[in-house]
Amino acid sequence: MTKRALAPLMVILAFVAGCGGTKDSQPSSSAPQQPSQQQAPTGLVVDITISGGNVTPTNGEFKAKVREPIQLRVNSDVADELHVHSVPDHTFPVKARQGQTFQFTAEVPGRVEVELHELDRTVATIQVQQ
Amino acid sequence: MTFVAHGLGGSTDLPVPLSYALIGAAWALTFTFAIVALAWRKPRFDAAKPGHPLPVWVTRIVDAALTRWVVALLGLAFTMWILIAGLFGPQNNTNALPGAFYVLLWVGLVAVSLAVGPVWRVVSPMRTVYRVTLSLFTFRRRNYPARLGYFPAAFGLFAFVWLELASPDPGSLTAVKVWLLVYAVAMALGAGVWGGRWFARADPFEVYSVVASRLSPLRRNRDTRRVVIGNPFDHLPSLPVRPGVVVVLAVLLGSTAFDSFSATPGWRNFVDELSSGSQVAATLVRTCGLAVFVSVVAVTFSLAACATGGVDRRQRLALPGQMAHSLIPIVVGYIFAHYLTYLVERGQETMVRLGDPLGRDWNLFGLSHAEVSYILSSHPSVLATVKVSCVVAGHIAAVIAAHDSALRLLPYGHQLTGQLAMMLTMVGYTFTGLYLLFGG
Repeated sequence: MTKRALAPLMVILAFVAGCGGTKDSQPSSSAPQQPSQQQAPTGLVVDITISGGNVTPTNGEFKAKVREPIQLRVNSDVADELHVHSVPDHTFPVKARQGQTFQFTAEVPGRVEVELHELDRTVATIQVQQ
Repeated sequence: MTFVAHGLGGSTDLPVPLSYALIGAAWALTFTFAIVALAWRKPRFDAAKPGHPLPVWVTRIVDAALTRWVVALLGLAFTMWILIAGLFGPQNNTNALPGAFYVLLWVGLVAVSLAVGPVWRVVSPMRTVYRVTLSLFTFRRRNYPARLGYFPAAFGLFAFVWLELASPDPGSLTAVKVWLLVYAVAMALGAGVWGGRWFARADPFEVYSVVASRLSPLRRNRDTRRVVIGNPFDHLPSLPVRPGVVVVLAVLLGSTAFDSFSATPGWRNFVDELSSGSQVAATLVRTCGLAVFVSVVAVTFSLAACATGGVDRRQRLALPGQMAHSLIPIVVGYIFAHYLTYLVERGQETMVRLGDPLGRDWNLFGLSHAEVSYILSSHPSVLATVKVSCVVAGHIAAVIAAHDSALRLLPYGHQLTGQLAMMLTMVGYTFTGLYLLFGG
């Protein structure tokens, strides 16, 4: 679209950025080493907190590598369901408790969306690269 | 919310940085314009050109009533197959219906129409039902009002993209079934009143198919009706100019742009913030966003087409419709750039699922053990190059088509200045298209 179209678009984007919405998208790769476990996760770890009907992060942006384990660490006060639209796709049941961990790998590069089903929010988009 | 992840990467998949691709694309367009403006002073493309005729038997087979009925009944049988899968198959995300609807129909139809012509006219299940009904009963029909033009189809196309991009849950089986039911009822009622013409003007898929087919090398000789092969640029101007034709193209182009835009975290945060957890409010915000994108394309294109001197008011108002065909290469290029992975990869998945429509471990197509080949996604830089090429080639073709029709339509003395606004608009479309496609 022309500049005419871009102007309101930029206003919207500026407004959104002003609301602090994009601050959630800090990539938190290079997870802390956990030598006590058998398989120390080397890939992406996403910490997800669900409390009082809110989820953090929302619309977060992360990067990961193909076939590297991706961990979702969930603290929640309600039961819900995480949908991971990767290849192959995954569905994880979230219970109302702290410290749940779900792990998956994406076999194909692309954008992988992680969605919280009941709350109807996109938690994160993971850019899976080779 | 989203039906399936697009499997498209961001700008990091590009073999060159995005800014280089953007600058390169803008220069490519500008050079194209400069070259055609200086060296191309007479219109060259004409839908009346004869083309190279294919052997007579091709036309004979294509036009045979038997062929038409066989293809129509196959189309109807395939539709029934998909509907049975949708209604009686597993009611979860392994059902074949959404894939058939969003991928085989929406993207596959463009690919097939581009290859062989406006096929929906022949395979349309609603048309087949109508023909069968017509052979049993006779009823009086009225003339379709010419004023309505393609507006009903534009509305139907908007309804489709609304379901895909703005509705609360596009992947929901129920949503797809309700949409199809409304579509079938609307088609049946309209055909009951206005006869077969209704399908040609109001069936969103038929108009979509006609639009895409105008870029096909195969067409008909206008006088002899023989199937000929020729330059797609000669085929483009044969897009019927009817009220609503610009809106049809604006819906197709604007919605594809909105699809990219709505995946950005900025827009999603904006929607979440405005709707504060209400699904109805979120749907409304997304609907407005989609409508804004479509309107921006319609308005910018119409204004750019009108921005010339030396024409009277009546001619000026006719210009956007007469130029509308030049948007087709952009639409097709963008659809391939955007949905090629869908068509190739989700298409395979859908075929595997259709081989087992009821989820009973049937293996009707012998595909149940076939692995979906993610040939495009696993080569991100090839994919990125294909995407940039589609967008840029589409825009260059559009500039050429627009220039040629401007030479035909605009008065002498205004042929160059009258195109400047259109050129700027197209550079703007290219920038926005590439920027959105690669996530900014």
